[in-house]
Amino acid sequence: MTPDEALAATVREEWGRLVALLLAQFRRLDLVEDALGDAVEAGARTWPRDGVPDRPAAWLLTAARRRVLDRLRAEAMAARTRPLLVVDAEVAAALGSVRADPGDLVDDDVLRLVLMCCHPALAPEVASALALRLVVGVTTADIARLFLVPEPTMAARVTRGKRKIVTAGIPFGVPDASALPERLGVVAQVAYLAFTAGYAPGSGPDLLRADLSGEAVRLVRVTLALRPDEPVLRALLALLLLQHSRRDARVGDDGRLVLLPDQDRSRWRLDEVDEALGLLQGMPGAVTSQLTESYRLQAYVAAEHATAVTASDTRWDRVCEHYAALAALNPSPAVRLAAAVALAERDGPRAGLRALDDLDGALPHSHRLPAVRGELLARAGEPRAAVEALDVAIARCGNDVEREHLTRRRDELASRRE
Amino acid sequence: MKRYVILIAYRPWDWSSATPEVRQSYVDAHDAFQQYVDEHGAHLGSAALGDADTATTLRADADGARMVTDGPFAELAEQIGGYYDVELPDLDAAIAAARLLPPAYTVEVRPVIRIEG
Repeated sequence: MTPDEALAATVREEWGRLVALLLAQFRRLDLVEDALGDAVEAGARTWPRDGVPDRPAAWLLTAARRRVLDRLRAEAMAARTRPLLVVDAEVAAALGSVRADPGDLVDDDVLRLVLMCCHPALAPEVASALALRLVVGVTTADIARLFLVPEPTMAARVTRGKRKIVTAGIPFGVPDASALPERLGVVAQVAYLAFTAGYAPGSGPDLLRADLSGEAVRLVRVTLALRPDEPVLRALLALLLLQHSRRDARVGDDGRLVLLPDQDRSRWRLDEVDEALGLLQGMPGAVTSQLTESYRLQAYVAAEHATAVTASDTRWDRVCEHYAALAALNPSPAVRLAAAVALAERDGPRAGLRALDDLDGALPHSHRLPAVRGELLARAGEPRAAVEALDVAIARCGNDVEREHLTRRRDELASRRE
Repeated sequence: MKRYVILIAYRPWDWSSATPEVRQSYVDAHDAFQQYVDEHGAHLGSAALGDADTATTLRADADGARMVTDGPFAELAEQIGGYYDVELPDLDAAIAAARLLPPAYTVEVRPVIRIEG
């Protein structure tokens, strides 16, 4: 491995832990990230010359610490609030208080970092960006690319988030045990937001952005590793893994969308499916929270698809049961739409179409609703009505690959004679 | 310690028409809040404010002329009814304290910033 590769690998694997350790010591989010960035730059300069250090992460940590202390010293000088001797003594004390880092302490610090980034006082898209930046170590440029916003916009979002943390006093800490499940639920929602942005991006040229989904999976993994029994995290990771496992099959070699029933199942990542099923099996039986149940039921649906050898083996009756339970819990329009699709598979297109009738008001801008309606109308033997519905879908669809697929389907139906 | 101003907003209602039990519940809630603040930080100041219809607003119009008008600066269903100025360790503490206030309130927690002279 070249020094550059070693540096990149260290940054990739260790960023969250390094940020957390520095925050635990210095509590200055504004200084910590800059210092770590400087340390990485220093590594990029010196490792090729001096060789990769034996303990690369420790090297970065030490380099970052020195820079934080330098900045603290400079701030104290500028404030001129204390004489030089006292400042030096404080700096020495700070250096001396460097504790050895047994695994537990580091882990707790990473959990503190996750909870800080995913605090409910931060707007969800800000929390997602901060979590990816600070816990997973994704660069701002890459986060911007992943969420399809301009880099300055994303940089401003991250800066705003950090400023809110500092100014509003969002703590670097773990709340009471009683508050922890709810806070981990927020972490789950932040991760889910990031995952969905990658799994089904609403706009742009890519059908999916597997990198973003992968980072979201990593975020959940990091948090779950710190709290392995937390039901909401287990259920969410299972759900994400099941959806993520299909990533290599969702786009054909020609760049076109491949629907679930048509996907080459040999391209599904079965190791991830197995891991997800294991997570689901190990979950407590009792109902824990609405959010956990929602993820669990969605995971069960995904599991039905993942364990069907071919599309026609899918147990639609079970899928319908899970959706019924999900709708009872959370009758959101998105759930009801998915339930209508399952209903159509089990009971035929007319049943599905009837289920769609009430949804127009709730989903006025959705392209998926008219797309599903079009598909069911085609199956029900009404190609003209199907074309009309697909036209609506095409007009509303923001994603290039999905739109191209819908257009092809529409053209195919329009060319048939009634 | 961080300094926060905790702004209390609610839909105007008739305190005089509340039952003694309801009034006591409000008093208890404020007591619980102040006790929490005393235990975890410091209470710097507070006030209950007259309702929004007792407010007077000074505002510059398009030409820059300052006008005095009757009423609050923003017409909202909920209006600011009081504030606490407190010192507490962090935002979670401020939120924990705010939770003790009556649930009918909408509470805004705003950090106080120091203007460097």
